[in-house]
Amino acid sequence: MSARVESPIVSLRDVRRDYALGAERVHALQGVTLDVERGDYVAIVGPSGCGKSTLLNLIGVIDQPTSGTVAIAGRRVDAMSDREATQFRLRNIGFVFQRFYLLPILSALENVALPMAEAKVSKAVRIERAAELLRYVGLGNRERHRPSELSGGEQQRVAIARALANGPTLLLADEPTGELDARTGAEIISLFQRLNADGTTIVVVTHDEDLASASRRKVHIRDGRVVDA
Amino acid sequence: MRAALAQASLIRHRARTVLAVLGVAVAAAMLLDMVMLATGMRESFRELLLSRGFEIRLAPKGTLPFDTDATIPGVGAITATLRANPDIREISPVLGASIHILAGNRDVSGSALGIDPSVQGDYELLSGRDVTTPDAIVANDHLLRQLGARVGDTLSVATGYDPQTRTYSGQRKLVVTGRARFIYGAADQSSSAMRRETLEAMGGQARDRASLFMVRVRKGANAEQVRDWIDKQLPNVTAISIATAIAQVDERLSYFRQLALILGAVSLFVGFLLVTTLVTVSVNERAGEIAVMRAIGVSRSHVVEQIVLEGVAISFAGAVLGLALGLITARYLNTILSAFPGLPMAIDFFLFQPKAAWSALGLLIASGIGAGIYPAWRAASLPIAESLRREAIA
Amino acid sequence: MFAFLLASLLVQGSSSVGGAPATAVERQPRTIAIDETLAARAHLKVGDRVSISALPGTIGDTVIVGAIVRRGADPSEVARGDLRVRMHLDQIQRIAGYGDRVDRFAIATTPAADIPRLIDRINRVAFGFNAYRSRDIAVETSRTFQVVSRFHRAIGIITIVASSVFLLCIMVLKVEERRRDIAALRLMGISRATVVRSIVMEAAVVAVLGSALGVALGWAASLLVNWHYQALYRTPLEFSMVTPPTVVFAVSLSLVLGIAAGVVASLRLVRTPPLVLFGR
Repeated sequence: MSARVESPIVSLRDVRRDYALGAERVHALQGVTLDVERGDYVAIVGPSGCGKSTLLNLIGVIDQPTSGTVAIAGRRVDAMSDREATQFRLRNIGFVFQRFYLLPILSALENVALPMAEAKVSKAVRIERAAELLRYVGLGNRERHRPSELSGGEQQRVAIARALANGPTLLLADEPTGELDARTGAEIISLFQRLNADGTTIVVVTHDEDLASASRRKVHIRDGRVVDA
Repeated sequence: MRAALAQASLIRHRARTVLAVLGVAVAAAMLLDMVMLATGMRESFRELLLSRGFEIRLAPKGTLPFDTDATIPGVGAITATLRANPDIREISPVLGASIHILAGNRDVSGSALGIDPSVQGDYELLSGRDVTTPDAIVANDHLLRQLGARVGDTLSVATGYDPQTRTYSGQRKLVVTGRARFIYGAADQSSSAMRRETLEAMGGQARDRASLFMVRVRKGANAEQVRDWIDKQLPNVTAISIATAIAQVDERLSYFRQLALILGAVSLFVGFLLVTTLVTVSVNERAGEIAVMRAIGVSRSHVVEQIVLEGVAISFAGAVLGLALGLITARYLNTILSAFPGLPMAIDFFLFQPKAAWSALGLLIASGIGAGIYPAWRAASLPIAESLRREAIA
Repeated sequence: MFAFLLASLLVQGSSSVGGAPATAVERQPRTIAIDETLAARAHLKVGDRVSISALPGTIGDTVIVGAIVRRGADPSEVARGDLRVRMHLDQIQRIAGYGDRVDRFAIATTPAADIPRLIDRINRVAFGFNAYRSRDIAVETSRTFQVVSRFHRAIGIITIVASSVFLLCIMVLKVEERRRDIAALRLMGISRATVVRSIVMEAAVVAVLGSALGVALGWAASLLVNWHYQALYRTPLEFSMVTPPTVVFAVSLSLVLGIAAGVVASLRLVRTPPLVLFGR
């Protein structure tokens, strides 16, 4: 009896990304082919300027390749219109940034609820779910605090809860421990592990060796190419 | 959620918000004042002309009422001709003259209207009796104050004065029977009224003449048609309907309307510029925030909506404040212009008309919306990845 | 008297050829001068014959339009719809039934004349009239103009206050936009005073350039206003004048405001801790 082969959740084929920098042309990615399976926990590593963040942006449908194809959960995303891409991100992708990027004028609860409000979830439901997510990331008692009243680690956890708001297929993180000290970073790393254990597919871009080691698979990028997947 | 975000964003930068609201308020006040100026005079004048219900005025050929010293001869004949038209309900001939009132060794000059008290439309009796007897005179408070006189006093009134011989002609003793408010009188005018026959007799030469006829048409009759009929029947007078009179005043005061238009347009433009600048600065600061919102799946139009809401809130608050400010400055400006010599007291240059005012303020708020849309749309359309990269570098 | 005549002016525009005199012994028609407004409204030109009388509906003297004149720059007359005619004195006295009377005499004096003494001498011997200096009369009769002047001044003040508020708003906003640049400079060790000075200098340059542009725009607008209203009212009166004091005032005010705005905004920002400016 053969095991059922599931198609990868993320599938990149010969993806290139060029952009203009002044008068020069930068080849950020030069023919990347990569698959990420459902439930996987992949760390993309490489030196500064190698194209890791660019790769993450393409997977996260916040950028489009110059050539090649990108498919998420079986759907081609490389040629989507802005409207389609926005809707897709809303429901399928959770993004965590190095600098957290919480809205400073909203409380922790409101920040987590924001994507659900956009997805037209009713107020009662989204408040409840946001509270649940905050409890999940260990911040059940900090709902009403503004980002300025939270530590870096706490802010990043709120950002992770926000990324999970609409139950995304994929969680993407760009240097999630970049602004945190070692101890706080470790807390985030263990949270990611818990998320993955609970079934979330995670792709992180990182310099952090500890974070990379905690992943199941490392993909090495150099000069816009995958050198070791 | 979007309204809450907009509100929170405005509160976050309190000083900036207050400054912008103040700026828009000033623009709104000026816009409101200019709208009031543009329409005020005409409406105020129309209300004045219609206040006693006389729709048509007859003046000596080629003149406006009381523009000159000219008079119309043949009051009796003209009245008879006018009565022939069934659409004409009332005819009030008025004779105007300058008078000299001798008070002790002082000579107080003023104006006198010779009228028929049963049909007059020039004054409102405030106290006492109307000029029912030939020797009666009513005067306004300004004249009575100058004379130090009261109702019941007897005045020595003359219609002519020869400066060479220093003698008065057409003198007569008249008794002050009442106090009146002269509707078309200027604030500093010494006005009086007596029976037309009395004034005619005092004037000597000017018999059976009038300076002006006021005509009231029957309810439901077409005033313009009656005016045209009068024109044909009486070629030696100029018949002026309310519309014609307003058009003539409009022409004379066109300068103010043009000024109002120009300043109003400038105010609107400046209000627009302010809101645009505020929104642009606001979104430039929040480029990263906007990119993140787009990254987490908030649509472009929703981002724009939230930003535009901020512009609208400022415009609205500014408009409300501007309304109060505008009414105050309008009153001040109106006081200045009311000092025009010979201007009837009842004329306002700045008249608040709700429909015009709300339209103007509505236009300001609409321009606030327009002002926010472009910078918001631009900010929401920036490539997300590039914005995030730039924010990371910054 | 003029007014009386105007009220009764009956124009029978006829061409200069034809319109033969009614009676054989009629004198050679005398000439009159009319103003531009009347010429335009009644489509008259030099040489046209018209009839002039004191009563409407009557045929009076036949006269010839000898000249079309432009009225002097009297601001109180500008918006009135008067039609002006100049005639020989004896003719108007006769037509209007005025007899041997006039409304006033205008007296031109020699440059060396002692005017107050002259006025005094006239008044001592005058019987039934008084002598005044022309400019004193002008002040008395120009109340309309004074009202308009006051109105303009009030509008001017309001416009200045409004412009000041706008200018302050926009300058503060634009300086605020540079908060991160300011924060970066402060973090590098640049002193508050240096930062404020550099922003104020920038604000001053913007104010100077803006003022220069504003003066140019104002001058152009002034030309446009004069061109428009002089044509509209057919008068040489200058409605708008850009004078050196006006320019100095406007430029000084905008400089002061621009610099003040720069100072206010930059002081606000340098007092805020740099990291707060970065948004942390």
